Order: sequence, then structure tokens, then C-alpha cells
Amino acid sequence: MVKYEPPLEKYSVNIREAIVGEGEKAIKIGGENTFPFHFFEGSLPNPPGLALEILDIQPENWAQWVLEPFQDVTFDPVRWAEKCVEVFGAEILCLRLLSTDPMGRDTSPREAARITKKLADSIDVPLIVWGTGTEEKDSQVLIEVARVCSGKNLLLGPVLKGNYGQIAKAALEYGHALVAQASMDVNLTKELNIALCKFFPAERIVIDTTASALGYGLEYTFSIIESIKQFALMDRDTMMQMPILADFGGDCWRTKEAKESKEQGIFWEAITGLTFLLAGANLLILRHPDALRLIKEMIS
Amino acid sequence: MILIGEDLNVMSKEISRAMKERDPEPIRRCVVEQTRNGMDYLDLNVGPVAKDPGETMEWLVKTVQEFTDLPLCLDTTNPVAMESGLKVCKKKALINSASGATESKETMLPLVPKYSAGVVLSVINDAGLPSDADERASSILDSAAFANELGIPNEDIWIDPVLLPVGVDQRQVVAYLEFIQMIPDLAPGAKSICGLSNLSYGAPRELRGLLNHTFLVMTGRYGQHSAIVNGFDKELIRINRGEMPEIVNLVYRAMDEDDMDIFSLTQKELEYVKTTQVLKGKTLYSHSWLEV
Repeated sequence: MVKYEPPLEKYSVNIREAIVGEGEKAIKIGGENTFPFHFFEGSLPNPPGLALEILDIQPENWAQWVLEPFQDVTFDPVRWAEKCVEVFGAEILCLRLLSTDPMGRDTSPREAARITKKLADSIDVPLIVWGTGTEEKDSQVLIEVARVCSGKNLLLGPVLKGNYGQIAKAALEYGHALVAQASMDVNLTKELNIALCKFFPAERIVIDTTASALGYGLEYTFSIIESIKQFALMDRDTMMQMPILADFGGDCWRTKEAKESKEQGIFWEAITGLTFLLAGANLLILRHPDALRLIKEMIS
Repeated sequence: MILIGEDLNVMSKEISRAMKERDPEPIRRCVVEQTRNGMDYLDLNVGPVAKDPGETMEWLVKTVQEFTDLPLCLDTTNPVAMESGLKVCKKKALINSASGATESKETMLPLVPKYSAGVVLSVINDAGLPSDADERASSILDSAAFANELGIPNEDIWIDPVLLPVGVDQRQVVAYLEFIQMIPDLAPGAKSICGLSNLSYGAPRELRGLLNHTFLVMTGRYGQHSAIVNGFDKELIRINRGEMPEIVNLVYRAMDEDDMDIFSLTQKELEYVKTTQVLKGKTLYSHSWLEV
């Protein structure tokens, strides 16, 4: 009898390893030379990063289940952040500067940077800082955040085709990493990375394809993340070898399924997140602490 | 390769105005220049023509024929405009186009034997655009059989595999290259045609030519019969005339993935090599494909 040998693939390149934060609690993402969870084929030195999100304003229209864990702290982003770390064990956080939305409260870059600095100083875990996706305003806000939080190695995003230049210069000068976002398009993802890499170090870039929730377009996100990993590992495309972030908590909790029951909502978010990890995401931004806990259990 | 000039096109503001106002002068300039540049056919794209379709096409065909002896490719989805144009064509015309979609098959294809014309037959069918080479093959087998039954010989069928912009779906470009090699087996004697400029739609303007030229060489190697092209693109025309054999040779080598000493290449040669790698699907496309 011939003994069956399962075929194994070897890839000669690695996904770049990106570091967020500084000091002991800094986290590394990426670095793998194989597909997600293919421990039998290659090495995946860093577990996926699992971030919890915090808003700089009181959440509006959140389902009661996802508001519950934070009810006592939503009035203060700093206390909210501390609770995420101390009570829910988050190893990385994402601060969304929703107040800066020019169509909303339109908080000044200075004020946004002040809050960010205060929050970053009060925690010892790495911090992602997220704008509103408004190119011009994000540019002002993230540049000011970069300056005020100099040396903290924040992960700033989203950086878009229309505003990457200024933000990347600030990130370079003040020592931060970036999330380059191109919506659901591998060609534009590559385009933006090429543009950034002309003056910004590739190992400080994280890719965001934009993500959708289970039942609401998840399969498109899955395919895009999967193809980026294939281009990176199989075609050895250096402009696609950055770790990938998936940000979908908001979309999950907007679904009617998530709003129907607590259990269903938590599963909705956890399953969406797990699915993106299977596609190849290296960093997830989550909303519910139980979704974080579930994913952690599943992958440990 | 047979080149069909695409510049008499309703998408051009000047031509569109000239068609509406029946002003022959801009038409003359465009026709004379494309003829002088060595086009083999001229494409007359009048669009769907909502108003006076028959009259417009008839006027245009007659006007164009005053300034050139080239055969014409009538480009409209409007069967009334098509038939009026065919009636006044002096030379064997090319109907652009029919597809495997039921309505198109039934309205356009009967005009082919009636006017002893040729026809561009695309792989599109009722299900839309096939997603790969095999689906293209099965679609064209059906449509060609339908055409044959109407008395249209394969020699009058110009198969259009449908070329999508490389920036929209690179896999479709690769599928195109695969499919075009299958044509002689699928429909012996049939010709092939593509709308070449569509390949580079959306790409940076100054780089569109490079994509188009490279693809012309690649498809030419696989036996492509004809292409609808920018009739003012001098380099494309020179390549097609065989005046740039070193570039053709280089593209062939890049297609074969020959080992090349990248550092011995000129800037322009390197651009052709990188572009070939993109078009054969070896490198993921981005608008800055030359910069990496």
C-alpha cells in the first residue's frame, strides 16, 4: 500500500508584519507565509488582532444589546476605553472620531486630537484612530492627531485615494501606521499601496477593503480579502503583502437579525468576524465584547 | 491584422453635431485622415439613434463614401438605421453588431444574407456576458449554428469575444486570450474582431496606447483577424504594419516568460514587458502598473 501524503504548498514570501502601539503591549499583525489557519503548511507567527471600538460621542440608534455592556461609560470615551481594557480584556482599541463629521457636530481637529491624546495616555494598549471617511476633514483631523500623539505608533485610518498624501507625511514624521482603504476593488487597493509606498514604509500599511455583514454582502468582502492574500502569496505581489483589517461591527448591529435578540446579534458579529479571519483578515474591529470573547475562544 | 477605424463616433461631440446638422466637413476630415493613416475599414457608430434613424445612417454612409473607397462597418443597435445604411453601401459592409441574445439574433442576422454583408457576432447571449473562455465557446457555437441556418457562412461571421477594460476585470482579459485561440476549432473559417480601445478604458490617458498596442501584438500572435481601433494611433498602425519587429518580438518573449535581462532593456521595452505581464494576468493590474 502506498502511504497517502497530503499535498502541501510552500510559499516563498511573507505577509509583512505591521506593529501597532509601542512598548510591551504593542501588537504585531501579519507576518505569515501561508493562508489563514494553515499551520500545517507554514508559519503564522501572530494571532489576529481583535479590537474593540469606542466612539467619541454617545452612540445613537445602537441596539440595546450592544449598548448594555457600555451603558455606564458611553458619556466619556476615556472611561469607555478603560472599561474595554480592564473589564473586557481588549488588547487593542479603535477610537472613532464621529464627532468630527462635517455633516454632524463638526468638532475641530484640535479638539479631536485632545480627546485622542487623553484617551491614548489613559490606556496602555495600542490604539486605532478612525476618521469619518470624509477626505478633507479626515486629513485635517488625522494630521493633528498624528502630531499631538507623536511617537505612539497609532494606526490611523481610513486613508483614501484623495487624502493619503498629507496624512501619510504626518504619519511618517510623527511615527504612526496607516490603514489604506479602497472599497471592494483589488486594483484600486494595489494602486493606493503603490502611491503610498513611494514615500511611506510598506511595513506600516494595513489594507482595508471595507467589509459588510453576514447576509448583507459578506461574500464580496470574503472574495476580495481572499484574492488579496492570493495575489500576495501565490503571485508574490509586493504591493498586496500588507496585513488586512476588517471593520464590520456597525454593519452587523444595523441588521434586523442582530436587533432581534442579544444572542443572535452577538453570533452575527462573531460569525462575520470569524469568516473574515478565514478569508485572511489580520485585524478585526469589533463592537460587542462577547463577540470578541467568542472569536478569541474559537481561534485559540 | 485588419484595422477598423473607430473615430466616426457619436460619442465625439464634433461628429455628433455634424450628424445632427448634416454638416459634411467634420465627417470629411475624420474620414480622410483615417483613410490616409491606413485603416482597412471605417466604423460608423451612430449609437442607438432615437430620431430619424434611417435617414441619419443613410446620409452618413453616402457622405462617408464621397470621401473614401474603404468598406464600412455599420455600428448601431437600431435595425432600421442598420438596414437603411446597408441599402446604400457600395462595398460589402460589416454589420456591427449582432449577439446571441434572442432579439439581436432575430432582428440583425436576417439582414446579413439579405445584403450579402458580414456580421460581427458577439458572445453575449440572453444570460449576458459569459464569464470565462468555455462559456464563450458554448455561446458562440449556438449563435454561429443559428447564423449558418440562415445561410450565413462562417467566413462572413466576425466573432467578437467582448473585451472588457483591464481595470474592470482582468480575468476577463485573460479569458479573452484563451478564447481567441479556440476560435479556429469552434467555427472554422470564421474571423475574429475586438473593440481594442475598450481594453484601456479608465486607464490613465497617456498609457492607454501602450495597453492597446501590447494587446494587439498578443492577440495577433493568437491569430486575431481584426480590431476596431483608434484610427489616429500612429504607433499602433506602425506595429501592425510590421515596422516595429523588435517590440513584437519582445512581447512574444514576455508572453513565453523567457528569461530576460531586465537591465538591458530600454525604458520603452521595459514598459512593453510589464504591460504584457499585466495583460496575460501574471501581474495584478493597477493604474500604476509601470511603476512597480
